[in-house]
Amino acid sequence: MSTSEAATTTVGDTRSPTRVGLTWFWDVPEFRRAMGLILVLGLSGFLLLPLATLLLWAFADEWRYPSLVPQSFSLRWWEWVFTNGDVGSAVRYSFMTAPVVTVIAAIICVPAAYSFSRFRFPGRRALFISLLAANAFPKIGLYVAIATLFYRLNLMGTFWGVVLIQLVGTLVAMVWIPAAGFDSVARELEDAARDAGAGALRVFWSITLPLAMPAIIVASFLAFLAAFDEAQGTLVVGSPTIVTMPVLMYTLVVNYPEPVGAIFSILLSAPSVILLLIARRSLLAGYLAAGFKGR
Amino acid sequence: MPSQAARAELWREAVVGLLMVAPTIAVLVVLIIVPAIQATTFSLGLVPSDNLTFSTGQHLVNSDTPTLDVYRDLLASSFIRDDLSMTLWITLVSVVLVATVSYVLALYVRFGAGPLPRIVRSLYLIPMFVPVVIAAYAAITFYVDRGVLAALLHAVGIPYVSPAYKPGGVVLTQVWFNIPFAVLMLGSGLDGIEQELIESANDVGAGFLTVLWRIVLPMNLVPLLIVLTFTFIGVIGSFTIPFLIGPNAPQMMGVAIQAYFSNYNQPQPAVGMAVLLFAIAAVAGAVYVWATSRSNRHVVSA
Repeated sequence: MSTSEAATTTVGDTRSPTRVGLTWFWDVPEFRRAMGLILVLGLSGFLLLPLATLLLWAFADEWRYPSLVPQSFSLRWWEWVFTNGDVGSAVRYSFMTAPVVTVIAAIICVPAAYSFSRFRFPGRRALFISLLAANAFPKIGLYVAIATLFYRLNLMGTFWGVVLIQLVGTLVAMVWIPAAGFDSVARELEDAARDAGAGALRVFWSITLPLAMPAIIVASFLAFLAAFDEAQGTLVVGSPTIVTMPVLMYTLVVNYPEPVGAIFSILLSAPSVILLLIARRSLLAGYLAAGFKGR
Repeated sequence: MPSQAARAELWREAVVGLLMVAPTIAVLVVLIIVPAIQATTFSLGLVPSDNLTFSTGQHLVNSDTPTLDVYRDLLASSFIRDDLSMTLWITLVSVVLVATVSYVLALYVRFGAGPLPRIVRSLYLIPMFVPVVIAAYAAITFYVDRGVLAALLHAVGIPYVSPAYKPGGVVLTQVWFNIPFAVLMLGSGLDGIEQELIESANDVGAGFLTVLWRIVLPMNLVPLLIVLTFTFIGVIGSFTIPFLIGPNAPQMMGVAIQAYFSNYNQPQPAVGMAVLLFAIAAVAGAVYVWATSRSNRHVVSA
């Protein structure tokens, strides 16, 4: 890839004895511009061309090698996707499970976040870190291990089994980000309200919670996306009864022509594109805090 | 000595605090700790008799005392040995590539000037918007034999060997998918390094490599270790990317585990392979914990 080529070239060139500054060639404007341009072009190609291919396929009717663009365009596969019963049921299951997971995660985790932020109790630090255990196991191994437990509890192939497996990927974000939100609420404001005669609950509802709300909303977005995009665990636990949109994607990709998978991809990424665009800045910070998104 | 009232207040705070975190910790225990322990005991031949799925599975090792027979059988199979070694190779190559590419991008975004680094700053985030299933599918449509990349190279007369359905396809897609987190993480570390520090190093004659090796890397070690560990765990336990764009034989462990569990009715070998991955990931995690605690000591003693 040109990005790594760019790296080796720059590293090799610095052995020149004429170097000045962090990178001597930074002082040669042409060289600097050329390297930057190669890096940006290589990166754009690597990141964007696969997505552009997918977008074109969604509107293609016929696209044969070695043409760079489809020979003919058509919308007939859109009609197929929108009238297909499996797709309809997958959309329904996706929009049933993901919101339920988000609400449950918020109910369970936001009080924990408040507690981690405000109370001193034994094991506080260790428990806070231990949440990372949710991200420390190789995912597919963990899902199979959970599935063996779910067989015993008769949760395989059930709605609640899917909700629980999707919940795993939301815990860290749903505790760490709201905890940071509660941390950032100035204690002086709460003290002032208390001095003015407000009770503990009143202070929480009218001062603390509203100020921490942006963090809670960002965490909820991330939790919703983690649940909505979760494919592997839902495949292991839910199928064949509960097939959500990402799980259906496995079948569509294998059994149908390219436009079907491409159109479905656009539908499936719509929620993440919309939510991430709404809250891009705060989501970036949240994304970091969450450690990583589920794979 | 705190007063009676203050001590009562401390007690109350501890009890309320623990009660509020209890549900989250309970979910963690029930959905992660208990399954992990059960998977381990099951893979050691201790089969719970009340679990019909386990006791009727194929290739069952059933024993009253812990035994390593499951692992012996797994490692005796040349198929699984091939799966395991390919998984480790793909993981190592992906981790090295993700770290290298992301480091270059993070350095460029942090220290580069002009409009181009600003473009990179928006570009590298794009894979974050894309669910992993779609990332894998987009990669297939692009890299496949007689696909778009083949057509592009054909137009300029370069021969093309498709990496799709080969280990190379998995690596490329893993790099694509892991770039945003890695660059964000490394970038957050680089932001803490002050420009003056590098300039003063330059003033005393330190070149690019020296500055990178002696100042930037040591100061940015913990984010780098986080990237290395999380990418390692993410890739080694991945299913979707190798399932869609990886080879059929040998296959990555994630694909094999799912197939043994869901399709071949062999839960015990599947769980055994999962525990193997846990163990390998735990080694990676331990290296990370060891290195961070060591680097923290350095900071304290310096």
